[in-house]
Amino acid sequence: METAERIVTKAKMPFCPGCGHGVCVKSTSKALENLGYGAKDVVMVSDIGCSGLVDPLFATHTIHGLHGRSPALGVGVTLGLNNPNKKVIVIQGDGGATIGLQHILEASRRNVDMTLIVLNNLLYGMTGGQMSGLSTSEFKQYKHSDDNAEPYDVVNLAHQSGAAFSVRVNNISNFENTLKEAIETPGFSLVELSSLCTSHGMKKISELKNYIVEEEKFTNNRPVGVSLRRDTASLFNRTKILTFQFNSNISETIGVVIAGSAGGGIQSAAKMLAQAGILSGLHATMKGEYPITVGTGFSVAEVILSKKPIYFTGLEKPSVILAVTEDGWNKVKNRISETSKVFVDAKISTESSFETKEFLKESGKKGAALSAISYWISKSNIFPVEALLKVIEGSKYEESLRSAIKSAENL
Amino acid sequence: MDASRIMTEALVQSGADVFIGYPITPSNLFYAYSKERFPEFLAGPDEISVLQWMCGYSAAGKIPVTATSFPGLALMTETLNMAYMMELPMVLVIVQRLGPSTGSATTGAQGDLKFLDGVISGGLPLPIFSPSNFKDAWTLASEAVKTAVEFRTPVIVLTSKELVMTQKGFDINTLEPLHKIDRTPKEFEKPYQPYKAGQDRVPTFYPLGNDEHQTRFNASTHDNDGLIRKGTPESLANTWRLREKLEKRVDEFTFYELDTEKDATNLIVSWGVTADASKDAVQFIRSKGHKVSLLIVKTILPISSKIYEIIDSYKKVLFSEENMSGLYKEMIFGKRNNPNVKTATKFGSMLTPSEIEEKFFN
Repeated sequence: METAERIVTKAKMPFCPGCGHGVCVKSTSKALENLGYGAKDVVMVSDIGCSGLVDPLFATHTIHGLHGRSPALGVGVTLGLNNPNKKVIVIQGDGGATIGLQHILEASRRNVDMTLIVLNNLLYGMTGGQMSGLSTSEFKQYKHSDDNAEPYDVVNLAHQSGAAFSVRVNNISNFENTLKEAIETPGFSLVELSSLCTSHGMKKISELKNYIVEEEKFTNNRPVGVSLRRDTASLFNRTKILTFQFNSNISETIGVVIAGSAGGGIQSAAKMLAQAGILSGLHATMKGEYPITVGTGFSVAEVILSKKPIYFTGLEKPSVILAVTEDGWNKVKNRISETSKVFVDAKISTESSFETKEFLKESGKKGAALSAISYWISKSNIFPVEALLKVIEGSKYEESLRSAIKSAENL
Repeated sequence: MDASRIMTEALVQSGADVFIGYPITPSNLFYAYSKERFPEFLAGPDEISVLQWMCGYSAAGKIPVTATSFPGLALMTETLNMAYMMELPMVLVIVQRLGPSTGSATTGAQGDLKFLDGVISGGLPLPIFSPSNFKDAWTLASEAVKTAVEFRTPVIVLTSKELVMTQKGFDINTLEPLHKIDRTPKEFEKPYQPYKAGQDRVPTFYPLGNDEHQTRFNASTHDNDGLIRKGTPESLANTWRLREKLEKRVDEFTFYELDTEKDATNLIVSWGVTADASKDAVQFIRSKGHKVSLLIVKTILPISSKIYEIIDSYKKVLFSEENMSGLYKEMIFGKRNNPNVKTATKFGSMLTPSEIEEKFFN
């Protein structure tokens, strides 16, 4: 760490006369210098409002963000730097603290190694002195506000969420030492400093004590939150390499719709069909449709097989429809065109004379779709059923998948 | 194979360091693949936190990535403006779904273009790439990282449910090798000022916490030192520069595919997920003995003069898009009717080749 560089610059304080923000800047600088931090060891993260005017006062790295979001920005900087020799200090006001309350709770929950200073002057100073979520009932009464809700206790909220250190300081002369303690604590620390807004607050500093919440201090002895770095391997390593080894007889593009119910293995069966097509030298696409609640209702998949490259992946007129449950059938029955070949399970009640087979009875709920695919492949002879058997080789469920494919021979 | 996998792999191979996200349909595959592949992965509690954390990572010298769809993007909008103003490199993958509002989460669409056109207050441009096939997914994801770093800007990769979720057989050996982008700070005129740019209009980047130069990032109007300055010539010039660095150098990151047919006076213009249907339609139209050219736009914004020149060289233009009114068409020609400009559009499902053909012939 560099100790020679001063933390504070010679820039003129931009605050109103008597404002506590200036004392905060000086105390923060002193605390950091006393702990041995040099200017380039520190990142000051500032918010919007009077507290957001601090950047030019610091010779450190600075980042000036949005209203209320600075604790989240500070989390990103801290985890991104991942360097215990660098210190991230965030300064925001009471307005920012309520806008981004979630960010404070999240930083506390994760116990990210940074310090948040909340300069609570009990009001919104920059916009005309309106009451904030940290204004106390007594202060609101004094300001003739109709709202009598109690203020947020951000110190205790941070504590309850897991912050390593959280404290409220009402006496500005104790601020520097408290701040040192906060900065030295590994993990997330929050220091709320109550001071008064000289322009919109009170005329006499002595009145402050009548309106503020009492001091409090909490600690949690928890591990510091970090983001883990790891070595990873290419996503292509685990993709299935499929090489042409069977022959296909198709001359035109075929679009197959497979319809069933959630949990019936519809999507995986469709994927197997597409893969078997690729093994047979075809271009193939596959996509699924199911309700947002993936565990119930219909499950429909579409597979396109073609000798030519496939561009448009929608299916205007399905060549084949395989329906194994009522749920699936209801979803796809209006897609049948004059050229569609339709195969339905015997349990499905249909008015028309489609080819019906006992897919469910032969292969059960989980195997019916694959059984239907296998039946259609054998019947249409688009490519050998062996291509489908090749796809399932080495699968965890190879045996049951094989029997579903073989079951088509009995139909 | 699906485009989410291809893009995630390309982003990491190009040097993206961390994925920060909040899952939302239909971008969930990115979340799942990124958890497996990125050297660092963070689950944010909400989309505002996600983008704020990304800004922190980016300012600390990392290249962060997220994936979301419109509801998440809407929450990220204020922070996206912050990232733009601070000039923070990052990539946002936006998977479009049917709106307005929460709309239909599992239905694809191309409805977010106009929103993105104006997403930066003041109408400043944001680079937006839109892949239309697996190969694009690979190269544009990589170009997004490159553009983000070279131009110090957030970059959007605008895609759609059908493209990132549909599985296709694909030969990965056809993908060109990618390299991690070099983050060595470029030369600058001393002393270091975080927002002072040279001829290329992009300031040299030093991360927060570096031991060489004090650096400042600022979301408010700021001078070359990164300090708030209201209305000074230097600070306003700095904001103008944000626009100029992208608009004046747009040809460096303009990508498109033009399939021209000799003597054709008709052009079909498409982008993203509707490009494939347009390819099929063009094949069919040509098979019937009609002449037609096809332009697939891949850098959607800012619009290069090259795109205007191509479009202007045809007598009649048909835009094919999966939205109500033809949003890209409106960006080129406005909303006013023009007898030489037609749209083939679809809302709520994929635009089909036959619907494009029908518009072409009628």
